[in-house]
Amino acid sequence: MSATTLTVTVPRVPVGDTFDAAINWLRANFEPVFDFVGMVIDLCVETLFHLFAMTSATQFTLIAAAVVGGALLVRRHRVPTLVAVAVWAGFYVAELAGGLVATAISSLPAPLFLWAMNLFGSSYVYPPLVLALLLLAALVAIAFAVGRDRRLWIIAAVSPVVLLAVLALHFIAGVQLSLLVAPLLVLLALFVAGWRVALFSALGFLLIISMEKWDNAMSSLALILVATVVAVAVSLPIGILAAQNDRVSAVVKPVLDFMQTLPAFVYLLPAIAFFSIGTVPGVIATVIFAMPPGVRLTELGIRQVDKELVEAGEAFGAPDSQILRRIQLPLALATIMAGVNQIIMLSLSMVVIAGMVGAGGLGNDVYTGIAQGNVPVGFEGGIAVVVLAIFLDRLTGAVTRFSPAARAQRAAA
Amino acid sequence: MPAVRADKLYKIFGRRPGKAVDLLADGRHRDEIKHLNVTAAVIDVSFEVQPGEIFVVMGLSGSGKSTLIRMLNGLLPPTAGTVEVDGTDITALPKAGLRKLRSEKISMVFQHFALFPHRTVLDNAAYGLEVRGVAKDERHAKAREALALVGLEGWEAKVPGQLSGGMQQRVGLARALAADTDIILMDEAFSALDPLIRRDMQSQLLELQARLGKTIIFITHDLNEAMRLGDRICVLRDGRVAQIGTAEEILNDPANDYVAQFVEDVDRTRVLTASSVMEAPIPVIDPDKGPRAALRTMRDNQTVSAFVVRRNRQLVGAVREDVIGAAVRDNVKELDSLIDTDLARVHPDTPVADLFGQAAESPYPLAVVDDADRFVGVIPRVTLLAALAPTTGSDTGADSGTGAEPAADGGTAPAGAPPAAPPPDGPPAPEAAADTATDTAAEGSR
Ligand SMILES: Nc1ncnc2c1ncn2[C@@H]1O[C@H](COP(=O)(O)OP(=O)(O)OP(=O)(O)O)[C@@H](O)[C@H]1O
Ligand SMILES: [Mg+2]
Repeated sequence: MSATTLTVTVPRVPVGDTFDAAINWLRANFEPVFDFVGMVIDLCVETLFHLFAMTSATQFTLIAAAVVGGALLVRRHRVPTLVAVAVWAGFYVAELAGGLVATAISSLPAPLFLWAMNLFGSSYVYPPLVLALLLLAALVAIAFAVGRDRRLWIIAAVSPVVLLAVLALHFIAGVQLSLLVAPLLVLLALFVAGWRVALFSALGFLLIISMEKWDNAMSSLALILVATVVAVAVSLPIGILAAQNDRVSAVVKPVLDFMQTLPAFVYLLPAIAFFSIGTVPGVIATVIFAMPPGVRLTELGIRQVDKELVEAGEAFGAPDSQILRRIQLPLALATIMAGVNQIIMLSLSMVVIAGMVGAGGLGNDVYTGIAQGNVPVGFEGGIAVVVLAIFLDRLTGAVTRFSPAARAQRAAA
Repeated sequence: MPAVRADKLYKIFGRRPGKAVDLLADGRHRDEIKHLNVTAAVIDVSFEVQPGEIFVVMGLSGSGKSTLIRMLNGLLPPTAGTVEVDGTDITALPKAGLRKLRSEKISMVFQHFALFPHRTVLDNAAYGLEVRGVAKDERHAKAREALALVGLEGWEAKVPGQLSGGMQQRVGLARALAADTDIILMDEAFSALDPLIRRDMQSQLLELQARLGKTIIFITHDLNEAMRLGDRICVLRDGRVAQIGTAEEILNDPANDYVAQFVEDVDRTRVLTASSVMEAPIPVIDPDKGPRAALRTMRDNQTVSAFVVRRNRQLVGAVREDVIGAAVRDNVKELDSLIDTDLARVHPDTPVADLFGQAAESPYPLAVVDDADRFVGVIPRVTLLAALAPTTGSDTGADSGTGAEPAADGGTAPAGAPPAAPPPDGPPAPEAAADTATDTAAEGSR
């Protein structure tokens, strides 16, 4: 029996080639843009990593200043706080640009600084550290001068003490940084999320340190934070636009579906093409993968705000921007924060894939574990990711409690 | 210039509103255009509200009240027609102009409160001023004042979720009052209040309006509330205006069966006032005349008592026929000693409900005396009772306004006499006449 096979030829659509061509075209024409973006991201991740894993005395001091400044701002002492910060920033720029502060310091009598130099064993006075210390002193002074409540005073008094303790332990007693940074993170968890989360974080971080994964964990944390900030910065405006305009919403939805379902490995390729191997393609891939829930939940949150409340705003003549800022966003904040939380969780799940393209960190450990069949290394990396994930999840979850809407809800309950 | 003027307003929800407007303008009912897949919420509504007036919009659920009020401040753009506020056509206003108008001229109380759950009661009340950019201390002071006015002192620091429904409604009210605009739109602003507070708030609103001269457009589906508050009332039915008029016009002269049925079970004694039921004081007696003349006057008018009134309409008192008759027989020359000066006097604005007690105690009809102490009318007991009986219902008197009243007496109507009821051949049997009358009435109401 002879059966002629009936083959219909379907013309080959060159999807892949077109995509490739598009990438090449973009690379050829917009290389400086990509280079710049890559540089900024790289710089941010580097800086954060240094902050977490190689904290300098200046950075510790600035953190203490930020805590006091934050407490001041929350209590609405805006003017003096911002003035102090602005003066500091001015000096800092002047120092970077022309070494002004260094000149000023060297013109002052040396004995003023000698004791400090001896204390930290440095051979010369580091101007940024001096500036940071001055800023901290100014903020503490402001807190005691204008503040009226006890908690502010306690914060203003405790911060410098903790700082001195940390500096002394690290630079004089020589305790390794991880054992100093971890308690600070635990402290943060304690204030934001309560003692249970703090306890868990303490144990988790100790485990990471004992597995000798601290530096890698901090590297991943830096990458995740940068990716999260970028993803939130991109998804929030898109979500707001989509909530206000049905057409934007209709266009955005399929794009988001595409971004979320396209296997993550597939867009690693163009990311590498644009930014070459390293942290940057890892961040970019993470942003693309993690962003969709941010957009979706922002849109949902804003659309869920009772229409009559928006009408009430309109009825009293509020402009759209004010309705957005004072009515829609505060009431949508819980949902938006759920989106941010999702972004962070998805970023964490991308850590391993980012590790594949040389982003380092815990992803690298897991990837090495897989590639070499080294179960212990891979598993330990995985556990560290889980600890980080739970820490970040509880922290962002708790931040929602501080929103005005959540506060009102608690009061009403 | 009217404070608010609506001119042939239409609001059609749905896809092809233009076609629907054309059909509705031809007089079709909104159910007849169902096939267009549109909801006609407001149809051909026109009215003017004068500054300082309380204009009540009344109608059943779904009759388009909220839709109408939302068009008055531009929250909903009308499908057709125009809205003018203080002479400005707001349908033509650009967005910025509309915002300015809303924040400076019109505030609104929402049916479902629409309070901001994330702000304190104080900040809610201060919202209108906040939008206008008033400094914090000043707007908080004003908000506190408004909250005190609605009886919510001491609740400033709470959030709306901690308040009962009625209290939330009062916060909504305070928010509109604090904004201090000339025009206030109130969408069922008292519906969530218990009867006591409700009466209280109604009184306060009336007082406030009298004091500050606000223009208030008030929506309600409670007829008694409408009658109590409204200078004029607009009755909406299925999106159309059924009647616009004062409470008394609507009660005594309903434009059609619908309105008549609507007002059937209103508590008339609370709506009608002494001035609306009083009668002309006939006869009156001049105090300078003697008893003989007084007796003559009373006999001529066949009454057993009469009021004694000076030329300048000052009420002196009243006299009774039997007393005067005895005095004339005794040859008394002066009337003064015979006058009963201890009379029940009532103000023209007293609700009829408050007259019964006095009427029962007094041997004379009630004397209605106005603010300037002038005698303006009398209310005999019979009149008081008659005022209770509704002039409405299925009987034919209902359509007096549309010209069907001549048949009111059924068979006793002389054939051919009234122009509006064409006489059947020959003298009609009583039933036939009644039928004709009903038909005419029904036609008249279309
Ligand atoms: N946004 C909308 N889209 C479609 N139809 C609407 C919309 N708003 C109102 N309607 C319709 O318009 C009609 C009038 O509604 P409206 O809310 O004005 O009634 P109401 O007189 O205020 O009733 P209630 O006393 O129950 O508040 C209703 O049939 C309703 O279904
Ligand atoms: Mg309504």
